[in-house]
Amino acid sequence: MLVVDRVSRSFGSVAAVRDVSFRVEPGSVFGLLGPNGAGKTTTMRMILGIYVPDGGSIRWKDRAIDLRVRRAFGYLPEERGLYGKMSVRDQIAYLGRLHGLEPEVARDRAAQWMDVLGIAAYAKRACSELSKGNQQKVQLASAVLHEPELLVLDEPFSGLDPENAQVVLDCIRRLAQGGTALILSSHQMFQIEDACTAFCIVGDGLVRAGGTLAELRATFPTRIVRVVPDSAPIRAAFLAFGAGEPRAAAPGGLAYELPATTDFAALLRAAVAAGPVESFERHEPTLGQIYARALGGAA
Amino acid sequence: MNELGIVFVAELLRRLRSRIFWLATVAGVVAIAFIIEAPLFFESLAHSSSSDIVLAGPPALRAGAKPLLERKGAYRIVASVHTLPAHVTVDYLTKHGDAGAAIALSERAGRLRVDVYPRDLSAFDEVEFRSLAPLGVELGTGLAPARVERAATIEHVVHPLDAKFKDTRSATLAHAVAFTLIFMLYLAIILGSQSVMSAVAEEKTSRIAEILIATIDPVHLLYGKTLAATAIALVQIGLWIATGAALLPNAAAQLAAAGSGNASGSAAATPEASALLSVDPGLLVAFLAFFVLGYLQYAAIYAAAASLVSRTEELGSVTTPIILPVLGAFFVAQYALVTPDAPVVIVCSFVPFLSPFVAFTRLAITEVPVWQVVLEIAVNVVTVVSCFWAAGKIYRVGMLLYGKLPSPRQVFAALRS
Repeated sequence: MLVVDRVSRSFGSVAAVRDVSFRVEPGSVFGLLGPNGAGKTTTMRMILGIYVPDGGSIRWKDRAIDLRVRRAFGYLPEERGLYGKMSVRDQIAYLGRLHGLEPEVARDRAAQWMDVLGIAAYAKRACSELSKGNQQKVQLASAVLHEPELLVLDEPFSGLDPENAQVVLDCIRRLAQGGTALILSSHQMFQIEDACTAFCIVGDGLVRAGGTLAELRATFPTRIVRVVPDSAPIRAAFLAFGAGEPRAAAPGGLAYELPATTDFAALLRAAVAAGPVESFERHEPTLGQIYARALGGAA
Repeated sequence: MNELGIVFVAELLRRLRSRIFWLATVAGVVAIAFIIEAPLFFESLAHSSSSDIVLAGPPALRAGAKPLLERKGAYRIVASVHTLPAHVTVDYLTKHGDAGAAIALSERAGRLRVDVYPRDLSAFDEVEFRSLAPLGVELGTGLAPARVERAATIEHVVHPLDAKFKDTRSATLAHAVAFTLIFMLYLAIILGSQSVMSAVAEEKTSRIAEILIATIDPVHLLYGKTLAATAIALVQIGLWIATGAALLPNAAAQLAAAGSGNASGSAAATPEASALLSVDPGLLVAFLAFFVLGYLQYAAIYAAAASLVSRTEELGSVTTPIILPVLGAFFVAQYALVTPDAPVVIVCSFVPFLSPFVAFTRLAITEVPVWQVVLEIAVNVVTVVSCFWAAGKIYRVGMLLYGKLPSPRQVFAALRS
């Protein structure tokens, strides 16, 4: 298990990361969320040993992160980088070798991953000749070739079309099923919401929220209820339960924001008693809403 | 194989597969072949146009002049006639053995007169006529040329003050060898360091550096790249030296044959050729040692400097300040060739970055006390270790720096980290 315990890191007078803590279990997918400059990449770099934390500690399987531990990690950085003149196969195999694979094993696994990611046809081509999406697949193959125990993916869906994004998503799930612990950051909430089992939302270097989606939802103070039709008695019933000003919700209904602690069963009964109710839907907050609230913005 | 070895092998293969390496290597081989073969080529051209002569004059004068003119191969008499036409033309020279000049000898009032009709004034060496001086003395005094020559010959013996060289010729050749080798070192550092810088800058600008640094110790990455560059430079130098060794015997033999007029002359026939071909193996070992130590110092610093730039276009801004020590070292080495035992030269042989050039130059051309050699090697080893230590610190930080070039204060902070 990865344990990030109150780590901090500053660059000059800028505190990039402040007292950030979280845990990542093997086989889980952990989403590290935050706006640009929130400290995600710095945190990832500290996990990978690229930066040394100014304070706090990072441990993997109860061991401090050293070179030997790092060899068991995989990394896909936000800024993609490849040797432009090196062939796809050599590139993947070389990075596998740096992670401790024997030459034959590295070559065999490179061939397997090129098949999985659909880039086998480009094996002998120079990386610079590939499209951006295929270059990202080469990087992903390079990051997973050694079957990492912990895989860190910084914006893995950035620049990918939906089809290729799905390939990467499938790959993430496959690795998690195989026991790999994954940390990924993304701005694409709908993809990360499905893929991740736990989250940490950071802003200005601080943890703003964290936990599983259920836990994050549990701490969200309100819920949205959509009800059809819009009628004065029903409005009165909702207002009696502390609902705020409703917003129009198609078709012909209203959306009310209510405290999460509301007795929704009692509310439903009150609404039905107030008049005919065609539809009554309680919506859990989305990851995007939780993210926006955690960072103090609008959903 | 550990990660250092993997990086080393990968870098080595990348460089061996690069066109730039082969272009530079082949260009060097061609340049060395040209330097060796060019004198032979020009010698052959010069021989046909200026050294071949038509000799004219009374038979007695011609008989006396012939051995004096042909001595040491200064001239080759292609035609011998009693008189020349009133107007000597190029056509006349062409018809008479394609001669470079016609020379008419005559006696007037007991003095020898020489009239020369050269095809090319600029190529004609009048100094060589001094060899006719004994004939002139004979005409004026009646003394036989052999007696005159003997009397004019000064017996001299050069007594070397150290045991390094036994005569001036071997000392001169040692200077030539020393100059050639330090020039090779200079060239290899200039070309190779640029290559190291480009490779580092490419990794940084292509952003693969972050993946590499997340995987292995950045210092191992730096070491692997620098050691590979040094190995490649050694391969290049080896090919260049092999080219020289392959071509030199034949060229030396032909030059010797041309000089002595002996078409079947061998390399061993001339002391110059013998000396060139029998360079002290110990000197070559010393050269390789100082080459490796010097190359590593500069390559490590250049790699660290390259890690500070964000784009390959910015390499020039960091290259200029760090190229100066190489230039300085090369110029001090030139000074050392002339005055190897001057105190300032001895001091420079212990100064980091200057030492590889100056220490080797001194070793090649003068007797250097053992303690100085040991100290020079120790200084260079310590310099290499220090350079790698400092370069590792800068590289570790520099590879993740993007934007404007870091200030000297930031670099110093990296060294202290």
